[in-house]
Amino acid sequence: MAAAFVATVTAQPAPRYRPPRLANGTPDLQGIWQVRNTANWNLQAHGGSWKTPAGYGVVVDPADGSIPYRPDARAAKEKNWTSRETLDPLEKCYLAGVPRTMYLPFPLQILQTETEVAILSEYVHTWRWIPLTPLDRIPGYESWMGDPRGRWDGDTLVIETVGHNDQTWFDHAGNFHSDALKVTERLTRIADDVLTYEATMEDPKTFTRPWTIRMPLYRHRDMDRILENECYLYAEEAGTPIRGEHPK
Amino acid sequence: MTCMAVDLQTRLMGSLAALTLVATAALVAQEPIPQPRTSGGCPVESKAFYDCASAKAKIFTPPRTREGRPDLQGYWRSRNNGIAYDVEPGPGSFAVPPTFGEIIDPPDKKIPYLPAALARRNEIRTKSFEDPQGHCAPSGAPRKNNTLFGWRVIQPKDHVVFLYESMHDYRVIPTDNRPHLPASIKMWHGDPVGRWEGNTLVVDYRNLNGKHWFDMSGNFQSENIHVVERYTLFTPDTILFVATVDDATMYTKPWTLTFSLERNKEPGYYQLEYACHEGERDLQHFTDDTRK
Repeated sequence: MAAAFVATVTAQPAPRYRPPRLANGTPDLQGIWQVRNTANWNLQAHGGSWKTPAGYGVVVDPADGSIPYRPDARAAKEKNWTSRETLDPLEKCYLAGVPRTMYLPFPLQILQTETEVAILSEYVHTWRWIPLTPLDRIPGYESWMGDPRGRWDGDTLVIETVGHNDQTWFDHAGNFHSDALKVTERLTRIADDVLTYEATMEDPKTFTRPWTIRMPLYRHRDMDRILENECYLYAEEAGTPIRGEHPK
Repeated sequence: MTCMAVDLQTRLMGSLAALTLVATAALVAQEPIPQPRTSGGCPVESKAFYDCASAKAKIFTPPRTREGRPDLQGYWRSRNNGIAYDVEPGPGSFAVPPTFGEIIDPPDKKIPYLPAALARRNEIRTKSFEDPQGHCAPSGAPRKNNTLFGWRVIQPKDHVVFLYESMHDYRVIPTDNRPHLPASIKMWHGDPVGRWEGNTLVVDYRNLNGKHWFDMSGNFQSENIHVVERYTLFTPDTILFVATVDDATMYTKPWTLTFSLERNKEPGYYQLEYACHEGERDLQHFTDDTRK
């Protein structure tokens, strides 16, 4: 036992950050967090364009930073790109889906107990409820925000989400998925004010292999509650109500 | 199985229009409406309920969280009278069941409107398409609890959080009695600030934008609204919910409503998504009518 402990310490020479913890010892990820990147506009590296800030890519696997589309899906993505100003679900104030809700240009709040985690977004009052205890899924359930289950892997919160519809996009650039999507997210608090957020996408109908994005989420130190962004109600008040379209 | 499938489909469609249609069909098919007789061993008529549940709450010792607070966690749903068609008593009309009202103060169960506000209420109460809830607006306080659908309560340290099924709405209530947001920030949600008074969770609401209604009958508010909600367990599975509304620009005095919240203990239950705006095809109908 002592030997194993020494070996572990030796393998990690840098002092490891020890996150604050709940009473049961699991890391405390609570707070108000937000990315400081352009993943919402394009997950892949891109120059600036109209209403779109330039940004480094966040795809870390494959190593070349590209999303591994199947050929037919790549053609569909190019069509999405061309019509992104009208087809992006966020242009209609729709729910952002997973993982996009995690890197919107809006703050999100993480709240947790020993048995469950809630991730709340300011954007159209969206909650994700993530049970950390076993709970059977309802077969055939399909939704905008998916059906998540969570667990701790050491100090990392792992969330596996299935039950997505095929209506949400990964970003404004038209990167998309099918209803076969499975997202595995990993959240690790690496400093008081930084979470590393990682998400691996598997969707054999759309991609040739799983792929992964990674980015930091920063803690807001000047906010003690999130506010609201009622996108479609603001559109209505502005005299430009948004007509919904029933999902096909 | 069929019943469950229909229920699931209704919830997945998530359209208020569809919901209303189903609810209406159910009401028409099942007259007279079976009214629940008791909740937590108390009669459900608002005044009798309040007196009974208050007496029970005085002698009930609630389970506690690790922090020593009353443990409200789990799934809840309203056992209200008439499902929030009207907070005042009403005889019922097409698709609206009769209700004996939720108000306990004033004793006549009527909102004590100032004359101009009452005239406005009487004008808009026939225009149900103006009800912000029909436009997928978060329902504010206290209406958010006046719903067909349930919600989950969790209690992270120093917070009580409500995750509502209806319109994926939520409330994050810090329980440290912190100051409210600046008055210039107005929100559909409002700004809930909580504190514990004995075994009661007290939630103080300000910063509401005043655009909401209290029910489907045009009872309305202004941005000066101040709401105080109180939640007290009076049995392991029932909460006495009391809300007091104050707004000197709208009402002659504060008024109070109450109803019971009941725990949903169905094994394996969890809330499915109620997307509202997404796929809403009836919005054109609502908005165009509003302009007439």
